[in-house]
This record gives sequence, C-alpha cells and structure tokens, in this order.
Amino acid sequence: MPHYVDIRPRGIRKVSEVIAAPVAGAAAVLYQITAGGQVPRTAIIRKIWAYSDVGNVVLTIGIGLAAAQVPIMPLLYVVNDMDTEWTEDEIPEVEVNQDITVEGTIVGCQVQIEVEEVGS
Amino acid sequence: MPALPQIYPYKAGTIEPVVMPGENVGIWVNKVYEFYRILFIEGLPRSNPLTIDLGPVGVPAGVTAITQLTLLEMPDIEFGQFRAQVLDDAEVILYQGRADQRHKLQTRVATYSRFNDRYDPDGQVGEFYVFEDNYAFMQATNNTDYALTQARVAFWGFRYVCEKLQQYNWATKTIPENWTRIPATAHL
Repeated sequence: MPHYVDIRPRGIRKVSEVIAAPVAGAAAVLYQITAGGQVPRTAIIRKIWAYSDVGNVVLTIGIGLAAAQVPIMPLLYVVNDMDTEWTEDEIPEVEVNQDITVEGTIVGCQVQIEVEEVGS
Repeated sequence: MPALPQIYPYKAGTIEPVVMPGENVGIWVNKVYEFYRILFIEGLPRSNPLTIDLGPVGVPAGVTAITQLTLLEMPDIEFGQFRAQVLDDAEVILYQGRADQRHKLQTRVATYSRFNDRYDPDGQVGEFYVFEDNYAFMQATNNTDYALTQARVAFWGFRYVCEKLQQYNWATKTIPENWTRIPATAHL
C-alpha cells in the first residue's frame, strides 16, 4: 500500500545555523523563533540533520535552556562517523512558540534543523 | 456581447473586489441598507498587522473573551471586505454587533477553524465586511484536551472608499436600479 503524507504548507520554511550541541545539562538555542511583530509566530520542526565524529551521541531537542530544557520529541541517537537525517515523514508535527534548544550526551555533535514558521 | 462583471460577495476562488469603482453598494448596517458609490479600492495584504491573537484558551472547553477586532476598524465612509484564516487549533465565532453572531442557522452557529483551509482554502464562505467603526468581534473556543497558549487569526481583503448617495433611502424604498448588497452587520 502506498503511504501518503498530506504535507499542506501552513507557513514558511527557515533553517537554523549549524551548531555543535552542548553537553547534557547545558542546552543552548538551536533555532531562534521570529518575534513576529504584532502577533508572535510559532515553529514546527520539519527536518533534522546531525553528524558526529566525537562518538555515539544521544540528542535532546526541546525548549528551555540549560538544565531547564524540556524535550519536545523522543531522544535521537546519532551514530559516530555517520550523518543522520530525519525528514518530515519521521518527525511528529510538534509546534512550539519559543526558541528550540538542543543538547547531547557528548559535546560536539553538529546539528541543524529546518522549521516551518506559522504566522504572519 | 461582453460579459457582465461578476459583482457580488462570497465569490468563489481567490479573493477579488466585490464591486468596481463607480458602482453602487447598499451596506446593511443598523438594520437598513445605506447607499454609497465606490470611489477607490485598495488591497489589504495578509500580514502581521492584520493578525490578531485572541489569547490563551484553557481546558476543558475554555473560551476567550469576545474580543473587539479593533485592527479591522475602517475610516469614515469606508468599508473593508475581509477573509480570515485561523492559525491555531481553536474554533472561532464571528460577531458583528457584540451580541450578534454571524454565520448562524436556527440552532447552530458555523465557526472558523483550521479545517476551513481544507474545504474552503480561499476563505470564500467566511467572507465578512466591516463598515467604519461598526466593529467585528471574535471569540475562540478550545475543544482540545490541552491548553492553547494562543489563538491567532489572520485577515486579508480590500478597502473601499465611498461617497454617500443622499438621494436614496431604504425606508422610503427609493433605491438605485443596480446595487450590490454588502452584509456588514448581522441580519437578525
């Protein structure tokens, strides 16, 4: 049976910088949400890229900084010396209204995300 | 033979001006039609200044206050033609007259929601009009099982600058031969 995904655009696509995920407990901003003028925007993660050459890494993507980070999806496992991509079919449509943050079990895993910003 | 212009509200497809400059309109306000001629039309793009956040909505079945859409107020002798898109998973009711719900049947009131994008992608059926400071109002309801931190609605449309046609009067049934009806307030 073919698998259909109805990806109907709700907003505009933007990407984060490529950052080195900090160590667990020191979650840093991965994507800074657009302030949005009169009415703030929200963001939905659509794609995640990661590459590690520092060892196998478990990434936590969430909201909140440092030890106050709260995951917004299950942990992601990145195998050492392999690039990993999660695409829209594989990512739940989690929508947040604040900066998206990341941390890893080992410092130094490169991470970049593409988001869809909803608003005006 | 040239085709007649399609001058009526709720036009299917991407929003178009409902009338052309030089045409007459009857604006339904205060339970009568008032007659005007269109002088000027201007587009109002969907944009951040034309977006409102009705506020957080709790559970279960939380509702926001009935919020005045001050952002859609029109200058004197002007009216606006608007379509709406709900950006968050809330059901939104339109009022014109703070206590006068629009899109209503005998026992039900049709609402705006994110589902409208699926079945009415151009917002045709939800089109509404605002004349001067006869404000529109909206109220959001949360039917999910989680609190919503925002209930946003974006608007776009056209602005019409008019001149009043003093010679016509609804009460005396002195009306123009050709005119387009603009439902700018509720018909109770």
